[in-house]
Amino acid sequence: MKKDKEFNNIFDECLERIVVDGETLEQCLERYPEQAAELKPLLETVLVVKEASAVEPRPEFKARARYQFRSALQEKAAPKRRPFFGWVPRWATALAIVLVVLMAGGGTVAAASNSMPDSILYPVKLATENVQLALTTSELSRARLCAGFADRRVVEIIYMADRGDAHQVEVITRRLDDRLDMLVVLVSELEADDANGAEAMLSVPDGGDMEPLLVEETAGQGRGHGQPQNRAGLRVVVAGSAANNHAVMWAMLDEVPESVREALLEAIAVLEDGYEDVLQALE
Amino acid sequence: MPSEESLVRRAQNNDQEAFAQLYEEHFDKIYRYLALRVGNEMEVEDMTQQVFLNALRSISSFRWRGVPFSAWLYRIAHNQAVDHLRKKRKRASVPLDESLISSGDSPHSTTELKMDVEQLLQATRRLTEAQREVISLRFSSELSIARVARIMDKSEGAVKALQHSAIVALRRTMLVTEQ
Repeated sequence: MKKDKEFNNIFDECLERIVVDGETLEQCLERYPEQAAELKPLLETVLVVKEASAVEPRPEFKARARYQFRSALQEKAAPKRRPFFGWVPRWATALAIVLVVLMAGGGTVAAASNSMPDSILYPVKLATENVQLALTTSELSRARLCAGFADRRVVEIIYMADRGDAHQVEVITRRLDDRLDMLVVLVSELEADDANGAEAMLSVPDGGDMEPLLVEETAGQGRGHGQPQNRAGLRVVVAGSAANNHAVMWAMLDEVPESVREALLEAIAVLEDGYEDVLQALE
Repeated sequence: MPSEESLVRRAQNNDQEAFAQLYEEHFDKIYRYLALRVGNEMEVEDMTQQVFLNALRSISSFRWRGVPFSAWLYRIAHNQAVDHLRKKRKRASVPLDESLISSGDSPHSTTELKMDVEQLLQATRRLTEAQREVISLRFSSELSIARVARIMDKSEGAVKALQHSAIVALRRTMLVTEQ
């Protein structure tokens, strides 16, 4: 028993030396000549196991999973980070409540924000977006909302493309086009920035290689983490969204059924043109 | 580089960047862990996504009691894998997935490693649940003995013993297969 324990410790030490420190099998065996005969086949097996188990997720899957996770992150953070009625006058709060109640009820609206176009709650999601836009007074905040809604359309396109529904992909593509057009109008009306650059206006998270996350936010809030505070900051965020959305859509092309490819290519073209216009307007 | 504890606390306070960083840090490892436990690529992909969505949903329930965040994450993955395999056991056994791609670069090494993946997946099915867990955590996810012990709620000595017996069993299976 004691011998077993001692051998297990030696075996594990050799493993650490080979796996972590990069020592060769031979070097390790030289350290323990008495156990070398027993250690050798086991360590060889470990090397085979280790090499064989180094599987990697497919890049397309990684891109899609990352995108969906970030969308879920945004959805989760949105209600808590946005005291939706905290900043608006009382009359607007009352109006919004009436609208929301008329539409379906608060719980339904919250559930609807995660809904996809094949859900019965999806019309509530679209209506809620319009209410949010109507109740937001600052142009910058409306532009941020609009950019966030464009991101949502991209997620929906990917979702429907994945399910092989070319018709829905076309319908949502038109909605994406509308959102990006609206964004162009909104950013055209934004005032020019002062001397501060985008770097000063957009807090960049630690660990760098992450694309900036766009969080929908209504006006009147304090400066949030990663939130653009002027048009230069907004441009950085929109450029990040454009690159990310573009990459994910391209990655999806190989994944979707043949019947959806054409609709998805059209969506990519709309996305490219739309974001190009937005970024030009933000120059 | 922020510590894991500070990242988790920020994530619990709805800091998206912090959670996104935890996601990036653990995604591949959780995928590899599930790949060796489950074997079928599509199922592994679905389950990997589900692990992180579950973590996102229940991050507020995570408490720091000396157990690292990764242990909690692997616990979610473990529960999912066990649940999945239990359901699957009721059905006929499914052939091993050949589409799992090893990270070898050259076409030659990819072919060799792919064979090894299949062989490995088949061999691990002969191990006990605990042995399989150790192999997945230790060699797929490359976790230390100490961390594996915490995840499995066992002593380091027990994990070393399981590791040893699992490797001996795998060796035996591989030799039989080669003959």
